[in-house]
Amino acid sequence: MSENIIVKVEDLTMAYHDKPVLWDNDVNIVENSRTAIIGPNGAGKSTLLKGILGLQKTLSGTVEIMGKSVKQVYKKIAYIPQSNSVNWDFPTTALDVVLMGRYVHLGWIKRPKKKDIEIARNALHKMGMQDYAKRQISQLSGGQKQRVFIARAIAQNAEIYFMDEPLAGVDKNTEKVIIDFLKDSQKQGKTSIVIHHDLNTLADYFDHLVILNKRIIAQGKMSETLTQANLDAADMGGGFTIAAM
Amino acid sequence: MLSVYLNKIFSLNFANLLNAIGLDFEILSSYTFIVVCLGTMILATVAGMVGTITVLKGQSLIGDAIGHSSYPGIIIAFMIGMSLDSVSLMIGAIISGTLAFIIIQFIDKNSKLNLDAVLAVILSAFFGLGMVLKSFIQGHPIYGKVPQGGLSNYIFGQAAFIRTIDVQLILAVAIPSLLILFLFYKEFKIFVFDEVYAKSIGLSSTLMYVLLVLITMSVIATGLKLVGAILISSFLIVPGITALQWSNRFSHVLIIAAIVGSFSAFVGTYISSVYAGMSTGPCIIVVMSGLAFISMFISPKGLLANWLRRRKYLNDLSKSLID
Ligand SMILES: Nc1ncnc2c1ncn2[C@@H]1O[C@H](COP(=O)(O)OP(=O)(O)O)[C@@H](O)[C@H]1O
Ligand SMILES: [Mg+2]
Repeated sequence: MSENIIVKVEDLTMAYHDKPVLWDNDVNIVENSRTAIIGPNGAGKSTLLKGILGLQKTLSGTVEIMGKSVKQVYKKIAYIPQSNSVNWDFPTTALDVVLMGRYVHLGWIKRPKKKDIEIARNALHKMGMQDYAKRQISQLSGGQKQRVFIARAIAQNAEIYFMDEPLAGVDKNTEKVIIDFLKDSQKQGKTSIVIHHDLNTLADYFDHLVILNKRIIAQGKMSETLTQANLDAADMGGGFTIAAM
Repeated sequence: MLSVYLNKIFSLNFANLLNAIGLDFEILSSYTFIVVCLGTMILATVAGMVGTITVLKGQSLIGDAIGHSSYPGIIIAFMIGMSLDSVSLMIGAIISGTLAFIIIQFIDKNSKLNLDAVLAVILSAFFGLGMVLKSFIQGHPIYGKVPQGGLSNYIFGQAAFIRTIDVQLILAVAIPSLLILFLFYKEFKIFVFDEVYAKSIGLSSTLMYVLLVLITMSVIATGLKLVGAILISSFLIVPGITALQWSNRFSHVLIIAAIVGSFSAFVGTYISSVYAGMSTGPCIIVVMSGLAFISMFISPKGLLANWLRRRKYLNDLSKSLID
């Protein structure tokens, strides 16, 4: 099977207040893959996703998604930000949040219709959250909140998922629901790019890997990329040995 | 003939009814009261709704800074135009409020200072300048010749000085503002709840900020004469805080904020009309804050409900321990 590149990043450099965070990075994401991005804290993983999605200024570099610019394909991209970027005090329900996944298809000013509400309900159901539709978002547990945000991505009906640490602070059960969802999406031809922090589950959950520490250390198929030498090169080797592989 | 008669009976009964609940029909039906009351109620409705958004965005103090900072603009506009014309004073207020806002944004972007500290400094600098200028022109050989009694009303607001043109200005601001809030309801919702996701689906957060600041600025500028520079920010903040205690739905919160705002405006304006010399702004704020305070105790998210929940939980716990 030949590998199509669905996200192509070249020479990406990004900085905060003139403090460079990412230098000159080339990233290739394979179509229909489940790709994990790993790296130590502060490696620039979140910044990389924001740069790819055009959410933050880049100093240089180009990004192509499905051969086009992000502006042309953003409807086909579902982004699940790190949960700390959300305003939890906001008065809204789980169903309402999922419904936001439909906004991108509605366009300005127009309100969600019956069909959108039905899509949102189905998405909640897929995440096993149908009984919590009317619940205030801040009253849900960490895992339940994350399921709601995945449901929002489902409602958006995207081709590519970008997720920033979706498994951080969630229960085991939710972790399984999310990974099953990723595998299921892959069967439907979709691509997911997920920032991950647990080296123990890495090879089980994903089939491609990007190792980042301000620069790209290595990228490619999981089996070829997850090596002790690469982890050491990213300052992630400490205490972890790849034995079971 | 008959209709006049009916009218008389109706208004008499109506007047009696109002008197019975302690309201003065004479005041309620006076042209001045109706004009002022309409003005404050419409203003409070818009301020309550747009203020809820700023409160949720964690930016309530910016309204306070803009409110105070518009005061020197009023004095300078008076010095230039040598008149108390509402429109030119309002333009002065908008210019100096905008200037303060731009300076705040600039410092916040380019320095590591805490935003609260920046707001406090700009607020005092601008408001202080306004007070200095005002005392400078008092008894000044040139400016002193022009009557300037109205200028101090811009500090606390004075209903008695409101003219029809002031209410027209409020309407001119309120109608487009409400329209924007209504049309872009969904956009504001996602912008406040999850700005990063909003950006990822192509919603410009810059545009949303600009809309928000534009509405906030116009509410402040038109409300100064009614409510005053010091208290106008409470119009933006207090109804939202009250409403958030009562509902978990954004649309309901906005409506409750509008109701809290306009109800307080009605009661406050009435009180300041009954007692001559009482400033309108403080009267409305007292009613508004009273409602906020009561809500903190008796609302579904208030202290009382929390206390009951905790007691029930402890009861259940001790029961299950005994069993
Ligand atoms: N908004 C910001 N302003 C300034 N520096 C930032 C900001 N966000 C992240 N950084 C810095 O950029 C670097 C990379 O951050 P991030 O992309 O969040 O890393 P990761 O997600 O890999 O933990 C860190 O050193 C962090 O301190
Ligand atoms: Mg991160």
